[in-house]
Formats: sequence, structure tokens, C-alpha cells
Amino acid sequence: MPAASPPQPPRRNPKLKRRLLAGVVDDNLRAIRNQPEGRLHRRPPVSWSFVAAAVALSVAGAALWLSLGGVLDELAAPAAASAPRPARLASAPRAGAAARVSSAVFPVAVRRIVVDPGHGGGDLGTRTPTGLAEKELTLDIGRRLGTKLAEAGFEVDYTRAGDTRVSLRDRARLANERGADLFVSIHVNWLEDGRANRGIETYYLGPSDDPFVVRLARDENRESGYALADVRRLLDSIYADLRQEQSRGLARAVQRQLVRSIREVAPEVADRGVKSAPFLVLVTTQMPAILAEVASLSNAEEARLLAQEGYRERIAVALCAGIRSYSELVASTATQMEAR
Amino acid sequence: MSAKEKFLSVGIDLGTSQSAIAASNDTRHVVDSYVGWPVDMVARKVVKKAVLLGEEALDNRAVLDLHRPLEQGLIKEGSEKDLAAVKEILAHLIRLAVADDRERRVRAVVGVPAETMRVNKQQLRQILKGTVDSLMIVSEPFAVAYGIDALLHTMIVDVGAGTTDFCVMRGRYPTEEDQRTLTKAGDSVDDLLAKLIRERHPEVQFSEYMVRTWKEQHGFVGESKEKVVVSAPVHGKMHELDITEPLRVACESLVAPFSETMIDLLAAVDPEYQETVRQNVILSGRGARIRGLAKELQRALDELGGGKVRMVDDPVFAGALGGLAIAHDADESDWEKVAA
Repeated sequence: MPAASPPQPPRRNPKLKRRLLAGVVDDNLRAIRNQPEGRLHRRPPVSWSFVAAAVALSVAGAALWLSLGGVLDELAAPAAASAPRPARLASAPRAGAAARVSSAVFPVAVRRIVVDPGHGGGDLGTRTPTGLAEKELTLDIGRRLGTKLAEAGFEVDYTRAGDTRVSLRDRARLANERGADLFVSIHVNWLEDGRANRGIETYYLGPSDDPFVVRLARDENRESGYALADVRRLLDSIYADLRQEQSRGLARAVQRQLVRSIREVAPEVADRGVKSAPFLVLVTTQMPAILAEVASLSNAEEARLLAQEGYRERIAVALCAGIRSYSELVASTATQMEAR
Repeated sequence: MSAKEKFLSVGIDLGTSQSAIAASNDTRHVVDSYVGWPVDMVARKVVKKAVLLGEEALDNRAVLDLHRPLEQGLIKEGSEKDLAAVKEILAHLIRLAVADDRERRVRAVVGVPAETMRVNKQQLRQILKGTVDSLMIVSEPFAVAYGIDALLHTMIVDVGAGTTDFCVMRGRYPTEEDQRTLTKAGDSVDDLLAKLIRERHPEVQFSEYMVRTWKEQHGFVGESKEKVVVSAPVHGKMHELDITEPLRVACESLVAPFSETMIDLLAAVDPEYQETVRQNVILSGRGARIRGLAKELQRALDELGGGKVRMVDDPVFAGALGGLAIAHDADESDWEKVAA
């Protein structure tokens, strides 16, 4: 039980109150002034004539594909030099599937972003023996990211605002219904099986023959809310998808910023690269979508850092920088297209 | 008439489950944070109102489009109805406080969860435009601390329905590092209690409102000298139900995360003040009225050398009264800066 005469806080201190009130006013003024003055400079809606011209160009064929199709790749190429080369899914489209169309043919400005903090409610995700849970970390980082994106002028939606369980189906449905331009799912990894247990990796939609990735996707897909038949149908339809290329561009931009920023404070963190994997939350969203494994709870040092707000803030800042970089790239690609 | 007399100052605790207001004309009100609109013309004829709030809305929920617009202490996003519902709640509270004082303009201090996102504060500011003359938004635990003069070397644990806010007062307006928000709070206890009862007694019919009432009337942690027996229908016939053990387990689900968060925040306090803070941990909020909670949290502090956890005198109004104290102490120049 406590000591008989505990130290008491001071009472009725006018100077201290004045200082606190000044803090209240400053905090409110910061909130008021940081309200986005205007949106990011938006591309005007794509005109029908532009669409028609773009379609004509795509039909015209290989020349345009070669000249424009690699724009995103080329600009994002420096990312993840050590990463495994993602499978070129477009080279093996399903029989009867439409020919792959370059995402650069339909560049649109990024306006609305759905931030998806992984797990939630009874689904804790990974966790340390001390109780640090993935669901809490992803929510915290997601909120920070959302704030930053909103301050940058994007419209932001969240798949969950609190500690609630949301099925993967509902997460994707929300993003689709809101007409999101990008979907960013935030997760924290648990790495074992002899691999380095600390690293950052970013996924976009696609198949994988890596057993580790397959297992990870299976674990993350567990709360899907989809029947097996739905899953098969969805997977059958995706691989010639236009979104895949855009998603890879986004994944690369985000991975590059994450690695650069985290290595400033933790140089030993491994760049595990940009990878494709059939996460259902990526399958069922109808816009470019990524799943970022922003850290690894399996590493004690990383877990210690994740418990610190500054580290989570750093991750959110890096995610935001990656998304902004990608959106600027999309806008500039559109400008190049119009110039042609 | 002095400036202070010209204005009615109000402090508002905007809560997920209940919202409270305290005003400088000595009025105090608390309403359930529910808003309902009649579902059709027939319903409108039945309830004879365009919109119903609080208990009245709950009582007539069968014929209403009922909204509980706050989730984890934040305004739910994506629904104009929820934003409208928040506006209705705030306007209703202010109408109750203003009463016959209609000539006086209103200056409001609204308490929100400690880690409320800036976009949410901006939404709140937008909602209150035209309803109040000036507005300050503060973190709820800070409002509690201010109201009871616990301004230095204290820790406030404000247990609401949607969130529990922790705040260490260090003689400055709290920053992110001084505060934590957990979503382990009244609602999470209700959810767990309902789940446990359903597991034990799948045949029993009960609603979330019944569960909340049981928790509020009988909630406890630790040993209970007597059984908690409630009544609930089974196939339409009332049965007595022993919920002692599920209630204990559900309420005790708060103890571990609260203890960990307290210890985590304490560790960040300057070493020479840690003991003072440990001896001045203050519980507030409607959710803190669980019998034995303060004692259990105090026990958790034993491993750090002991401490004292006590309850504020008026846990329901502590936040609103704190907001009122801030409104009262703020200078004219402060209010002018934050005009709505």
C-alpha cells in the first residue's frame, strides 16, 4: 500500500494555469491553421476525347507500350535493389484474357486514399510476449498516416477507426464504395524460419511461389469473409489486371521511402523488397492497392522501437512520402501523355 | 456588462456513450449520445418529433433510424447522418445549458480523446460553426486534470465507453508523448461480457443495452462477496441468470492493458518525479466506476515501489467541469484567437 503521506501536487497555481492555457490556444491554432487551405493541384477529369485518344493509342499497339508502359517502372526502378525480382505476371495472361494495357494509358490524379490498419478487435495479428500487438501498432500508424495525408490535401478514409474487427471483404467493399484511388494496407511482420528476423517488405497483388509469402498470405487472408468459390473466381480474374502495374509502382515508391527513413535510425534493417502475393484484401479492391509490412515484431530491438511514438511517426511519415511520390509520378505521367 | 457576463461559458465532454455539459449559469446535463430520426411518416406521427435524442431516442429505437455517431470517441467517418447526429447532440446540450439565457453567446471548451486526429477536430470545429461563438478543443484527460487542479506530476486515467485516455501532467499542455488512448474501455467490456454470457447461456435473449446496464450496476474486479444475478428472457419467459464470473472476467480485461499503459507512461517521466506521479493517479469517467478497479491498478503500481490510485469526486461530470474551468480562466484574447 502507498506511503502514509504521499507527495502532493501543487494547487491553484495561476502562473502554471496561464502556461497551460497558452498551450491550449496554441494547440487549437495549430489545428486551425493546418487545415488544408486547398487540395493538391488536381488534374481535371479525364476528358472523353482524351480517353478516346488513349484507347486508340493502346490499340495502335506495341510502340506505345514500349514507350509508355515502362514509365512507372523506370522512375521507380532504384527501389529495392536487393529485392527479388517480382514475377512478370503480364507475360502469362489467362487464356482468353484481354491483352495487358499499360497503366500509363489511363493516368488519373490520386484524390481519395483508403488507409487500412491491419487486424483489429479479437484479431490481434502478431504480438510480442509482452503484449505489444500488431492491431494496435497498425491502427496507430494508420491514424498518423491518415492525418498526414489529409494535411497534404488528400481525402482519407479508414477501414477501421478503432479496435474493431473488420473482415477483409468489408475492408475492400469500403474502399470500392468510396471510390478510392489508392488502398494502403498496413501490417507488422513476424519473421522466423532462419530468415533475418528484421526487415521491411511491401506487397502488391499477384501470385507467389515463395512458401514464406504463401504462408503469410494465408495468415493475413484468414479473416476474409469470402467463400472458397469466391476466392477462386477472384484469383482467376486478376492477373491481367491493369491495376497490377500501378500497384507495383506504388509499392516501390513506398518501400523505397520506408527503407530510407528506417535505416536512418536502424541501419541493420533488411530491405526485403517489393513482392507480389495474393492477399485477398488486394484482390478485391478495385484500385491500385498495396500491403506494407512496415516492421517486424519478431525482432526484440524492433519491438522496442515500435513501442516508441517517434518510431511509429517515422514510419507514417515514410509511408506518406511514398504515396505522395507515387501520386506526383502519376500526375506527371498524365501531363506527358497530354503533351503527346 | 463584462465580457465574461456577455458570454455563457460551457464545458462539454463529448462521449461515445454519454455526453455531458456544465455551464457558467450552474446548469449541468448529461445525455446518451444517441440520435434517431423517424424511419417514415408513420413513425414521425408516432414519435411526434423530427429528431429524438438520448434516452428518448433509445426508448423509441424500434421506429427510428438510430445513430450512435461516435465510435471510440471519434466521429464516425463517411456518413453525413453521423455528422448530423453529432451536431444534434451538441446543439441539444447547448440548448439545455442556455435554457432561458438565449441572449448570451456561447464559448465552448469540448473535451475529446487524447489522440483524436486533427481531421476529426476540424470536423468538430466545422460542426459547431454557428452554434458557438468561440471554441477550444482539448484532450479529455487534460480537461479533467485542469478541473481538479491536478496540473503537475499527476496521471489522469479517464475511462469512457469508446476509449480510455491516459495523460501525465507535467506542467505543460500535454503532447503526444504524455498521452495514450486505448480502445479498451466500457464498450470493450460490454462486448466481452455479452460474448461470455452467450457462450454460457446461448438460449438467453439480451440486448447491448441490457448488458451495459448490468455492467454499470454490478461491474467489479477482484473478489465478489455476493453473486450477481440478473433477469433475462429465454423463449419469452424471464429467467434468473448468474453472471458473476463473466462479469468479473469482462471487467478484469481492463486491468492488464491499463496497468501496462500506466507503467509505460510512468517510465517516461523524469526519474525524480516518478514517485510523485505514482502517488497521484486519478481515475475519472463513467467507465471508472467499476468496483475495485482503483485498488487493482494500485496493486499494479506495487511492482514499481507502490502508488495511490483514487477516483475523482464526480466521474461523470469531471471532464465537462474541467472544460468549464478552462473556459472560465481563458482570457478575452485567447477566445478571440479561436473564434469559431
